Amino acid sequence: MEMAAQSSTTPATSVQINDTALRLRIREYARQQRKELRTNTTDALRFGLGQIKDKISELENLGIKDVQGMASRIKRRKHATGEDMYRLSHAFLQGNENINAFAEVQGATQVIIKEFTGTQMQRQIEAAECLCNYSLGDAHVCEKITTMAGSYLVTFLDNQEPRLKRSCLWTLANILATCSKSASMLLQMQLASKLWKLYTLPASDIHGYQEDAGICLHLIATRAAASIREEDRRYIAENLHKKQPGETGADYYMYIVFQLELVNRERDLCAAHFQHLLNFFMENVNFDPNTAAGKLRIVYGVRVIANIFATRPDNSQLELQSDQLVNALNKLFALQEPNLTLDLMQLLKNLIEAQLLDNELLMEHIRVYA
Amino acid sequence: MNSEISSGVLLAKDQLQKILDNLSVGFITSTEGNKIASILPPFKKLGVLIDLEDIEEAEAKIPIWKNVNTKTTQSQYYSCIQCRRQLPTPHLLDLHITEQHDLYFAASVERGDKPHYTCYIEECPLKFFQPADRKDHCIKVHKFPANYRFDQGKAPNKAKSCTKKATNAMDVDKDVNMAADLSNEKLPYIKAFSFGHPTQRTFNSRKDKALLDVRAMKEALDDMD
Repeated sequence: MEMAAQSSTTPATSVQINDTALRLRIREYARQQRKELRTNTTDALRFGLGQIKDKISELENLGIKDVQGMASRIKRRKHATGEDMYRLSHAFLQGNENINAFAEVQGATQVIIKEFTGTQMQRQIEAAECLCNYSLGDAHVCEKITTMAGSYLVTFLDNQEPRLKRSCLWTLANILATCSKSASMLLQMQLASKLWKLYTLPASDIHGYQEDAGICLHLIATRAAASIREEDRRYIAENLHKKQPGETGADYYMYIVFQLELVNRERDLCAAHFQHLLNFFMENVNFDPNTAAGKLRIVYGVRVIANIFATRPDNSQLELQSDQLVNALNKLFALQEPNLTLDLMQLLKNLIEAQLLDNELLMEHIRVYA
Repeated sequence: MNSEISSGVLLAKDQLQKILDNLSVGFITSTEGNKIASILPPFKKLGVLIDLEDIEEAEAKIPIWKNVNTKTTQSQYYSCIQCRRQLPTPHLLDLHITEQHDLYFAASVERGDKPHYTCYIEECPLKFFQPADRKDHCIKVHKFPANYRFDQGKAPNKAKSCTKKATNAMDVDKDVNMAADLSNEKLPYIKAFSFGHPTQRTFNSRKDKALLDVRAMKEALDDMD
């Protein structure tokens, strides 16, 4: 009997041990991968135009003639080596005159783009980083990059190589910040939907594209909100619920929602979306209003919620916890910031008109400072 | 109202009601919102500093004889198992497999009852009857370059031109043709033998007479017999 009992427990124990070992191995592998990725990310040093000269004293000084020479060489060979692209990247970082000199050489940009779209991943990464530095140039340079490589920059956002993907995001951010014509061209390639996908990646995603995607969306919302395609607007509206307040890049969320006018009379957001936005706002109220990120969350959160109430949702669409909402509003009124108070008054007016709460009770408990 | 809300005294219910009565229900639009100074500092454009050691290390990994970084290429690309074509995104690979290797898709296209060619942009829901229509759409609407590198339409065009050539060719006895095809399939195409010196450094004036591959050698041997 004892033997039989032993034989029945032994396989179960061995399976358990195997499971534990496997789990430990997976955990260890995940830890190592996280560490490696963190190192890769922090190793990528980023510099503004000309800033490199102050930071690195042993730098090879590359001038316009060097750039023209390199441009002619790669053009002649119809191919750029890793070292060519490395030197060009450094030259672009050193000054705008180098960027303009390269842009003036007909056919040189095409060679970089050829490497960027080639089949060797390492070359592609180097070309992407070269394009990123090239995008530090003026509007005409950014326009050139967008016309020739915009479609590839957008396409590679779906690639699985993290360095390539991140370089594309950085390049896109530089372009979006420079030229509104380029921004509208990129938006025609349905860039906004792709960025929203990256922005709403789950917090467990170790690559951390959310922040960079958030920056790009913030730039679009600031400079080119009018050029956004209706399909993209619809896609973002349908996927509003995919971003949580505690996730990376969530500071930009309410700003993007407000600037893209996702809450308005024409757009029918469903009850779940209204509820998500309200819950997001209630979380935002707990952030420090003295920091830029906290202020961004609060100011635009108030505006979005004011607009939700202006759509006159009924009680089935929006479940309001009156105590929590009144407390949150009192907290914000107590900040006594003139512009914020104006928006809060509009929110209060819209809330009263929407008849979602007992208005008498609301007026009793609300604390507004004059 | 702005002047009313700046001194910091708690408003009575009547006063609050009076202010609210003066307001009208409405949306706050982004144009109104932009009047306020930007909360975040202006975006600073940044480049990236590349480490030369990274490049040298990566280049050291590339086998000189092959000049392809097999390790990274295979792991980071989406490649077609049938024709080995490498594509950068799962959507483009999906389009490639469907359009180039799926017989059911080919039959559906031939039937022509509905559009089948999906746009290169995954988020775009439009479909087209012809690859050329899709290309036009991508150029006009999505501002793609005319020579988009991952264009799927190129390969079938080549295939079509091959079949056209075949149809224009002279009538030949099928059996003979078949036999020739089979013999072609059996013999591997090896350009030339080399013993560690693949590049020829001699003048090659009799190019047509040289035995450039195994097939030519075999034919020459047959003739000798």
